[in-house]
Amino acid sequence: MKTLFNAALALGLAATPAAAAELTVVTAGDQNMVEYVSEYLGPLFEKENPGAKVRVVGTGPGDAGSQKILERFEAQAKAGSAKWDVDVAVVHEKFAGPMVEAGYLEAYRDKIPSGKLVTRGNADMALGTRVSGYVMPMFNSQTALAYNPNLLANPPKSYAELAEWAKANPKQFGYNGIKGGASGVSFVMGWIYAFGEGDAGKLQNGPFEEAETKKWDKALASLKDFTRHATLTPGNAGTLDLLSRGEIAMGPVWVDMFYSWQADGRLPPDLKLILPEPGMPGQPMHYVVPAKSPNRELAEKFVAMATSPKVQAEGIVKRFNWYPGIDAQHVQAELDDATWNKLFKDITPEDLAKNGKPFPIAPYNNAILEAYERQVSN
Amino acid sequence: MTSLATTTPATGRRLPRIDLWWLPRGLVLGLLAFIIFGPLTNLVLWTVAERWYFPHALPLEYGFSYWQRVFSPRGNAMESLANSVFVATLTVIAALALAVPAGYALARLKLPLRSLILIAFLIPQAFPNLPVYVNIARLFYGLGLNGTIPGVVLVHVTHGLVYAVWIATAAFSAVDRELEEAARSIGASALRAFRDVTLPLAAPGLMASAIFVFLESLDEFTGSFFVGAPDVNLLPLLLYTAGAGGNYQIASITALLLLVPSIAFMLVVERFLKADVLSRVGH
Amino acid sequence: MSKRLLGLILVLPALATITLLFIVPLGASVVGAFEVEGRYGLGNFDKAFALYSQDILFTVVIVSLSTAIIGLVAIAIGGYLTLGENPHAVAVLRWLYRWPLFIPFIVVGQVLRTFLAKNGMMNNTLVSLGILTPLETTSFLDWRGIVIAFVWKQAPFVALLVSGAMASLDRGTIEAARNLGASRLRILIEIVVPQVATTLIVGLVLSFVTMMSVLSVPLMINAQSPTMITADIAFRLNAYRDYGVANALGLISLLITASIAWIYLRHNVRSRA
Repeated sequence: MKTLFNAALALGLAATPAAAAELTVVTAGDQNMVEYVSEYLGPLFEKENPGAKVRVVGTGPGDAGSQKILERFEAQAKAGSAKWDVDVAVVHEKFAGPMVEAGYLEAYRDKIPSGKLVTRGNADMALGTRVSGYVMPMFNSQTALAYNPNLLANPPKSYAELAEWAKANPKQFGYNGIKGGASGVSFVMGWIYAFGEGDAGKLQNGPFEEAETKKWDKALASLKDFTRHATLTPGNAGTLDLLSRGEIAMGPVWVDMFYSWQADGRLPPDLKLILPEPGMPGQPMHYVVPAKSPNRELAEKFVAMATSPKVQAEGIVKRFNWYPGIDAQHVQAELDDATWNKLFKDITPEDLAKNGKPFPIAPYNNAILEAYERQVSN
Repeated sequence: MTSLATTTPATGRRLPRIDLWWLPRGLVLGLLAFIIFGPLTNLVLWTVAERWYFPHALPLEYGFSYWQRVFSPRGNAMESLANSVFVATLTVIAALALAVPAGYALARLKLPLRSLILIAFLIPQAFPNLPVYVNIARLFYGLGLNGTIPGVVLVHVTHGLVYAVWIATAAFSAVDRELEEAARSIGASALRAFRDVTLPLAAPGLMASAIFVFLESLDEFTGSFFVGAPDVNLLPLLLYTAGAGGNYQIASITALLLLVPSIAFMLVVERFLKADVLSRVGH
Repeated sequence: MSKRLLGLILVLPALATITLLFIVPLGASVVGAFEVEGRYGLGNFDKAFALYSQDILFTVVIVSLSTAIIGLVAIAIGGYLTLGENPHAVAVLRWLYRWPLFIPFIVVGQVLRTFLAKNGMMNNTLVSLGILTPLETTSFLDWRGIVIAFVWKQAPFVALLVSGAMASLDRGTIEAARNLGASRLRILIEIVVPQVATTLIVGLVLSFVTMMSVLSVPLMINAQSPTMITADIAFRLNAYRDYGVANALGLISLLITASIAWIYLRHNVRSRA
């Protein structure tokens, strides 16, 4: 109520700048991301930094959530605001590149102690754009196929087996196309990796060549046929919803979302995950700090804390069962074996190393999506 | 439906006829109740469901842990709710203050380009907002209105005006012109005739538009994010992040919270309307 | 002061508000729709039609169908509230019909997704009542789901407006017709509906506009392709950051709505003359 009256008093006046020690974190992602920052990271940070106060705004799940953060930055840049109203943002990998290219971000990774604990390539390159220094991964997410062992005892272990099984069991496989969220997109990318005639490595690492985009026609034709035998689901959450109702036996999901749904009692506990050959994409969520953050030092401190081995262990792995953002060995050292092994209940570290792929670089990514729009859904 | 129980006892001769009529009536009302309350029951169940998945037709476990999450001391659900109601009330006042004169002019006075003006008021709803909000946010940052209550109210007013202006125009058009002219002929000023004759007769329509403007403001997300947050937090932000992510429990609880001011507002409006219209009758 | 001038002065504040706060920012988007790689042209519209002509057609059909059903439901509800003879049934209906009005679209999407699914609550209830067998159940999560969601949410909106207008009608003609032995259905169609036609159509135009701009319902309920224009706009922005085609689609959506509103307004002007 107090802010209400303050704001009412400011009627007609310019926006009151946030108090010096108020740290604003804007996060894309589901409500559990918002709660993670406000209920876990917030109190922890406030205890370590007396006088600071963390407040958090959620912008919604999926690319749409990150897009809104990008647009917010763009609006402030174009309006020429000297100080922005965001200190730390959490965005999907895909949006880190455009933010760096537009010059919205501050390079802070080398300034914080945990910066050295990240060696994985996706902290340096984001879909083909160099983002080294500008981002710290909050966690790594992976798409995989979730299945219901009661309906499907021996799940297909590769895309090739899946194509056969889905044909023999019509409507038992469900995915959300490409317009309803990234789990469907990821399934499509995996399909191109598996059946495209080009080089999957080139799609993931570049360089972009126009000729490469001509090599997917066959794969897309077979995907169109496959989709006819599949159930289309309404969105990432829709796939999980239909899995939980037993209407489909298998479908692509984000591993982090899968565990959250299970923890919140919306998915039967006996559902399982499998990461099929030759692999499906995953992506990190990144912490970024706008160059015009009003509390830059505090923002850096916040990310440093959030990416420290202890917080990654307690917050990301133990609390959510998500894959950590910084290198695994630093996090594993903080945890007992049972907690650590829970991460790999269905998907082993070896599977993950072999079949956990990045998304194609941005130009291929767009070209595949557009080809899908023209050839599969049209 | 407990239809039979609620019929008043009638004379023996008429009773069978009434019973027969309650059959189709009860059937239709029952069907309607299922259509309306089926999905709503679903919503209410999700607010207290701790675990619920197939093949269980009802939740496996009930509890209030999600209510605790929504109302956690660090979350700002109550503050957001209060902000939302405050903003929605201001939006209704501002939208009606703008729409009543505009609607009257569009209904009664000869205006050039009347059709174009009416279409202009549709634009904020008719052009899908997503690609426009960058420009709107930029404008509001430029004006220093970001993060202020007036800023959020202005954004909501632009969307509410669609309903307010169109409905006000229809309401004033429906008032018989002769009544107003009769008042003028016995010496009432134009303003007086408007206040005492036209406005009360158009009041039901105007009040209906007030309800829609209130609801539109209460449920609006995109503008609330771009112009309000992080300084002015509104409840739809929570609703949207939870709803779009499939967090059924939290989205349902938030929707239930938003139901309270909506219904309260409608009841207040209806009561006010009845008293108001009645008081005018004896004028 | 001339009536024209007075009229303009009365409209100006409201018009200025939406012009400054929406139409001016929109201008940049509209220009963007005609811009392809720095040059002006119709490339974005070509692409929009090449990729999404089916979706545009689908949107028009779905929204028109929903509008028609909403109109019928609203007339039925308003008509019964006005002409119904049993006060208990009228009271029950009055209490019943308004609830969906208060549920935001995103929640409508959520509750209907879990309600209309193949193993959703509706089919579960019907099966447990013995009306259906599990083998007969089907999912409504396609175009039918969108129509159901739109009608569910918007019919009370129009019904509220229409029943308000019906309530303020002169009862004299209705009673007279009743005394002459006219059936209630005939009175509704021949006497009541023509008198509230303006309100009804305004309500339907507003519903049409609202449904054209709703994103959450097609995203959360319709899994199939084709889908609605708003979902394509969101996809163009979020997947490609392609404001050009998104704005072209926005403009197409605006033109569809404006032409509907225009038809109504032309008709309205003629009937007022």
